[in-house]
Amino acid sequence: MKKKLLEIISLSKHFGGNTAISNVSFNVEEGLIVGLIGPNGSGKTTLFNCITGYYSLTSGSVMFDGHDITRIKPDKACRIGMVRTWQRVKPLGNLNVLENVMIGAFSKTRSAGESRKIALAQLDLLGMSELSSNTAGDLPIGLKKKLELARALATSPKLLLLDEICGGLNNTETLELMETIRIIRNNGVSIVFIEHDMKAVTGLCDRIVVLKSEQKLVEGTPSDITGNHDVIAAYLGKGYKHA
Amino acid sequence: MKQSVVVIALFAAVMAALPGFLGDNPYIADILITILMMASLASAWNIVGGYAGQFSFGHAAYFGAGAYTTSILLTTLNPGIPVSIAAGVLVSCVIALLTGTIVFRLRGHYFALASIAVAEIVRLTVLNLDITGGAQGILVTKVSFGSLDLNSKVPFYYAMLFLLLVTLGISALIYRSRTGYYLLAIREDQDAAASLGINLYLFKNIALVISAAIASVAGSIYAVYISFIDTSTVLPLRLSIEIILTTIIGGIGTLWGPVLGAVLLVSLAEALRSNMIGEYLVNTGMVSEGSATGAFLKSNLAHAHVLVYGIITVLCILGLPKGILGFFRRKGEA
Amino acid sequence: MLFFQSLISGILIGGVYALAAMGMSLVFGVMNISNFAHGELMMLGMYMAYYLFTLLNIDPFLSLLIIMPLTFVFGYVIEKTMIDRVMDHPSENQILLTVGFGLIMSNSALLAFTSDPKILTTSYSSSSIALPGGISVSIPMLLSFLVTCILTAALYLFLAKSRTGMALRATSQNREAAQLMGINVSRMSAIAFGTGTLLAASAGAMIAQTYYIDPFAGHIFLLKSFTICVLGGLGSVIGAGIGGIIIGLAEAMSSAYLSSDWKDVLVFILFLAILLLRPQGLFGKKGEQ
Repeated sequence: MKKKLLEIISLSKHFGGNTAISNVSFNVEEGLIVGLIGPNGSGKTTLFNCITGYYSLTSGSVMFDGHDITRIKPDKACRIGMVRTWQRVKPLGNLNVLENVMIGAFSKTRSAGESRKIALAQLDLLGMSELSSNTAGDLPIGLKKKLELARALATSPKLLLLDEICGGLNNTETLELMETIRIIRNNGVSIVFIEHDMKAVTGLCDRIVVLKSEQKLVEGTPSDITGNHDVIAAYLGKGYKHA
Repeated sequence: MKQSVVVIALFAAVMAALPGFLGDNPYIADILITILMMASLASAWNIVGGYAGQFSFGHAAYFGAGAYTTSILLTTLNPGIPVSIAAGVLVSCVIALLTGTIVFRLRGHYFALASIAVAEIVRLTVLNLDITGGAQGILVTKVSFGSLDLNSKVPFYYAMLFLLLVTLGISALIYRSRTGYYLLAIREDQDAAASLGINLYLFKNIALVISAAIASVAGSIYAVYISFIDTSTVLPLRLSIEIILTTIIGGIGTLWGPVLGAVLLVSLAEALRSNMIGEYLVNTGMVSEGSATGAFLKSNLAHAHVLVYGIITVLCILGLPKGILGFFRRKGEA
Repeated sequence: MLFFQSLISGILIGGVYALAAMGMSLVFGVMNISNFAHGELMMLGMYMAYYLFTLLNIDPFLSLLIIMPLTFVFGYVIEKTMIDRVMDHPSENQILLTVGFGLIMSNSALLAFTSDPKILTTSYSSSSIALPGGISVSIPMLLSFLVTCILTAALYLFLAKSRTGMALRATSQNREAAQLMGINVSRMSAIAFGTGTLLAASAGAMIAQTYYIDPFAGHIFLLKSFTICVLGGLGSVIGAGIGGIIIGLAEAMSSAYLSSDWKDVLVFILFLAILLLRPQGLFGKKGEQ
């Protein structure tokens, strides 16, 4: 049995009278890629916001690497090794690509020279070296997503939370990015992955958690999930069978 | 970084030699001291407003706190100029920390609003206390510093120049350090900044405290220079706004923008105040002296510099939102 | 008796503060802009009332009928020509634009009317009604309060019942969604700014008999309006109404029991206390953003 890196225990989040997440629990073991899928409004992004401290939980708790991080602040979450990307990208728009990634790298070093080295290496790994001096705000959406990945990786996380990182990418780009993510995992980073595109998820994930109507519907291996009638009915629909 | 050091050193050399060329003209000296002071204030504001994107509308509070603390100490206990300046810095930093602690948890317009409120609290408190002389202000006389002749303008020129150089040095250092990158990240997107491990609250406070400390020193030097302070000279909302405009017009978020802005705005204000522009228009025959327009310009342009600031601000925001320097270097160097 | 006297004058002046602050809050709610020229718009109303009275002998309260449509159009045009262009800029640019616009207004007024304060005196400016127990109620302030109540009711009906009012509220709730539903949000912004200008100028016109009129008379009201808006919750028009009364009362009480020198300080300390303890305001919907 692998060590649990992230444990989400009966997490609920209400906004006023509206329930956004109700009693969701699952674990992420070290070295795994876990996919989090579900229809729009099923609470996926809200869950990320809760885990990383942007929202406070209504009830439940979150453990990371054996520590209770239920009330953690977003910046602290990053410094203990848990970093996220954004569904609606948030580039540091007026800064260039290198500077964006350097700011991530500064969480591990105070030296500007050192952080530049880390950032350049990271950009190289993602094949973005040539874009170093481009203004981040001017990049097309696909590259902005990739930049967020580079920036997040520069913080040398133990756990990477990716929020629809493939949104806006074409098929080739998606396949490339999937390969990159596999490499990242092989380098020892665990990943939680919110995705709309079922194909991407099933090809890559070790385990899948399906959310529906604010609750966990089911959890299992990709083959469990694609064979699960509830999932097919609730989320995948007929389209997937033909796909 | 190296480039900045070279340029700052060149600037220092030119400015240090300047009084030698201009001779002993108190009028010019006064304008230069004002330019150096506004450049220091705007550069200081730029650290928190330009780098971190937190617009303080109450920087007069720090300038005034420095001026008042120094003046009160010099006219009572008289512990000497350096100690009096340091005490001013301490007071300003406390005010800055109080402000930051209260409002930096919040986002959006709150800091802008709260910074005005704090400045007004400081101004009204000074106006209502006895120790500050209330509405009468404080006369700062019989101050001495070593063998310096404080009746001459020269020591103040060099004091303000030194302050500006230190401010530019600090700005350049911050800009290329982790703190600087973090401030820029906060300016660009606070959520993204936090997700990358940046303690927003801490770094915003750091920027504000550094900025307040510099503004405070400027206030202290100014008080000794001008020998008389009251709330309308060192604590008005107008000063806070002029500091922002200087930065915006010169180029916000750049090292030299605030300096450029100070040169432009102080010169412009002086040209209007001394009626130079009005006379120029009449003398060159563009407006006839006898005409109604001529008479109106002659009698009113002297009071119009703030109006002109307003017009420039509106044009700047609508036309070149990044200021003059920002306009020339739009990309890449941000 | 001091207590009741302060209570009454606090409520009366609070009503006028409320009117000015409701204009600011409406603009904030619909456009998400802090209008730093709000005080100057009040100053505009003060001068308009002054000149309509001294030149044309129109009573300040009657002159509202002229001032309101004119200032609405003025605000509408200002929004369309300047503020609309910075709607998608960072909020700092929007604030600075309104600061610059305010400087232009106050300093133009300085050139046009000089800095000498003007005093608007009507036949009833200093009359008051004596109530039992030695309490006196100033007639102009009482009239201001009554007109404020009428305007507030009209604003409330406009927002609650009219099509435009509902569209304004929808824009205030969620600009993007309102746009998707086919609401012309850009036009709503102009209407909100025009209405905000109208409310500020009306408040100015009504206190023109009570305060000195000078080009910078609006400054203190700008800060008070901000305090009231934050107290009531930025963007909440009703909150601003109640907040205005609270601030009026707080001022009157502190003048009576502490000292009138410190009443403005107290208002700003209250402002910081709200930010510290309840930043979403008493009735706020837009808390931490």
